[in-house]
Amino acid sequence: MMSSKIGFRLKRSALCVVTAVSMACGGVAQADEWPDDNIRLVVPYSAGGTTDLLSRKVADLLQRELTTVVVENRPGAGSTVATGQLARGGRGSDHMLLMASPGHTIGASLYPNLRYDPVADFAFIRNVINIPNVMVVPGNSPYNTVAEFVEAARAKQLSFSSPGIGSSVHMSGELFKNLTQTQLIHVPFRGSGEALPALLAGDVDVAFENMPTVYPHIQSGKLKALAVTTPQESEFLPDVPSMQQAGAGYGLENYETSAWFGLIAHKSFPEAGLEKLESALAKIMSGEDFQNFLPQFGAVAGEEVGDDFRTMVDNEVAKWSEVAEQANLKR
Amino acid sequence: MDNFSEVLTLFLSVDNFLAIAAGVLIGVVVGAIPGLTATMAVALALPFTFSMEPVTAILLLVGIYKGGMYGGSITAILIRTPGSPASACTLLDGYPMAQQGHAKKALKTALYSSVVADLISNIALIFFAAYLAKIALNFGPPEYFWLICFSLTIIVSVSGNSAIKGLIAAGLGIIISTIGLDAVYGTQRLTFDNYNLMDRVSFIPLLIGLFAIPEVIDFYTSKVAPHIRTAVSGASLTWKEFKGSLKTVIRGSVIGVIIGAIPGTGATSAAFISYSEAKRTSPRKANFGKGEVEGVAAAEAGNNGVAGATLIPLLSLGIPGDVITAIILGAFMIHGLTPGPVLFQENLPLVYALFCGILVSSFVLVFVGNAAIRYFSLIADIPKTILLPIVLMFCIYGAYAVNNSTFDIGLMLAFGILGFVFNRTGVAAAPFLIGFILGPMFEDNLRRTLLISKGDPTIFFRGPIAWVFITLTVASLVFAFRRYWVSRKEQQAEA
Repeated sequence: MMSSKIGFRLKRSALCVVTAVSMACGGVAQADEWPDDNIRLVVPYSAGGTTDLLSRKVADLLQRELTTVVVENRPGAGSTVATGQLARGGRGSDHMLLMASPGHTIGASLYPNLRYDPVADFAFIRNVINIPNVMVVPGNSPYNTVAEFVEAARAKQLSFSSPGIGSSVHMSGELFKNLTQTQLIHVPFRGSGEALPALLAGDVDVAFENMPTVYPHIQSGKLKALAVTTPQESEFLPDVPSMQQAGAGYGLENYETSAWFGLIAHKSFPEAGLEKLESALAKIMSGEDFQNFLPQFGAVAGEEVGDDFRTMVDNEVAKWSEVAEQANLKR
Repeated sequence: MDNFSEVLTLFLSVDNFLAIAAGVLIGVVVGAIPGLTATMAVALALPFTFSMEPVTAILLLVGIYKGGMYGGSITAILIRTPGSPASACTLLDGYPMAQQGHAKKALKTALYSSVVADLISNIALIFFAAYLAKIALNFGPPEYFWLICFSLTIIVSVSGNSAIKGLIAAGLGIIISTIGLDAVYGTQRLTFDNYNLMDRVSFIPLLIGLFAIPEVIDFYTSKVAPHIRTAVSGASLTWKEFKGSLKTVIRGSVIGVIIGAIPGTGATSAAFISYSEAKRTSPRKANFGKGEVEGVAAAEAGNNGVAGATLIPLLSLGIPGDVITAIILGAFMIHGLTPGPVLFQENLPLVYALFCGILVSSFVLVFVGNAAIRYFSLIADIPKTILLPIVLMFCIYGAYAVNNSTFDIGLMLAFGILGFVFNRTGVAAAPFLIGFILGPMFEDNLRRTLLISKGDPTIFFRGPIAWVFITLTVASLVFAFRRYWVSRKEQQAEA
């Protein structure tokens, strides 16, 4: 009786071991064969926005290298609804990517009670695209340099527009305000389509808009570009200095913002998947198709891969958290 | 002459005509399915246009946009489920017409009003773009504020029998619209820490819930005959009837063009303003809301008038007026083109080739629309016991599809119950909807204006555009009160 019980236990243990081993092997086999299913690329914003547009292009190029990439829009609460779902993981998360953008780092400061850590809960694959913001004033504005603008903003109250609270455009303005010790008034709109006319008409004094939004108006002379927000000048606006150069002596020596778009995944994303994605991205990003696509958005290819990308996001979270706190946005 | 032949070369290709036809067809079908909006269809079609010629690509997207604007009215009329937000106004008279067995007439009225409005909108785009763009640029937050004030006065005309109930509904709509993060300070308002509510209440689930679900509940709670044929085979629209509404259609189109040229106001507001104006001036105003041809014509003219006009700020200034034009802007950029004054200087033949295509799309809409009526109207002959469960399924799917969110399904059902309560208590749902749409615009522009002026209220009276809308607002209110007063006196006299 006893022996039969032991036998049963042994059999059960053996079965467990066999199952565990086969599952583990299955896991290894699965990782080696990654991708063995369609890849889902989640866009945490509505269809039609910049993030969506860029994601669809990346998906199109990526599926030429790997497998079918299905783009899914899951907007909500900045980008935090979709990001929260990715952080929770679960079935299918080994084939799920998310196109993160400044909303990922700003949202962490703006939205209370986030149920995820914007850095620790994710695997960072690669920063794919960077779009600089440009500090622009109306064409008939009396200010021609960053220095003139800061002097004026210290003497009187000026205003800046943004397409909405917590956008990279808004936060670029808040950062400027903090570093220059000025009291710019933030005038939020709903989308660039509404914000831009107010700037063109001179209802607001300045904006720190995304390059593609303002580029045609800079060309036509309706807006004046005072600086680009990246550390280097942009090849699209060769005559416009960087904020760090133009704002030296006014507290802007370390000013740096840009709209970045990079792929992230759940923290337990298969290692083989990360490697395959990294090499596929490296290939498509050096390809002609991608290189021709970038100039249409005034964009440059992102450089940060893996841990570098993680460090970049970590720094951004710290930066925006401080800015949000000083701007009294953290609720 | 060289330019002329270049325009023809760019425009006269089989691909362009196919793109327009395919676009309009996709738009009508997608627009008719609740929850699938033209915006979504345009966004999904965008990657397919990467490899096309620029003119073909943009015509495909514009075709979807225009088709979608009309398509939304089909299900609004047949099953009281607006396929798109802009067609919410169409159902006020379209659905009663269908119930009375005039579905075909309502659908044809919607189609021909849409086509005429679309044509007028396109002509405005081609000939008055520069002028209208100038007005759009002079439209700052104070001017928006007064435009919204004027738009809010239409609540009175869509309130049904009781102005008080209408105001209560509108107030409720405004309260619901405040849910979410505050636009200026980022403070949470009425979100109860729920993430799903931080981006405001989604519009499509609200819309579907408010209008479609009460019909389903009504059917199962009241013991009406299970098989009501809405008889699409019924009388079609006669020229005489349409001629009677032509003035309304033209007025609605002009309203649509003006609203469309101003970024950020939207087709839904245009439809309601046009409807309200038609009701105000119509000799049959008592019949509005009960199945009036002119009501359908006004609503559809208003929302389709917007379609061509939103391209005005896009092409002449490079400013997208709504989400769809923002996607079309993306399509331009992907093809290395920059909308705005530079486009007219450097790519004039291309602009004119686009104009040709956009004009053609209006005519394509006639054919595609007529075919759609023929097939979609079969819906009306399905017994309600079979149709309504399918409608419910589409409602649930539609509410889910917008944000891929199950929370939105619950939201839709909650608004369904609210809509049912509205129906039973004689409260009109339209003022609620207007309050929900215009409430945030009112608040945003009021606050923006005061932020820009640093608190100085004189900015509200800063120019002729502001004064035009102040005058219109006051006139509209005076007219509404006078009418209210007269009708009360009449009621008292009868008593």
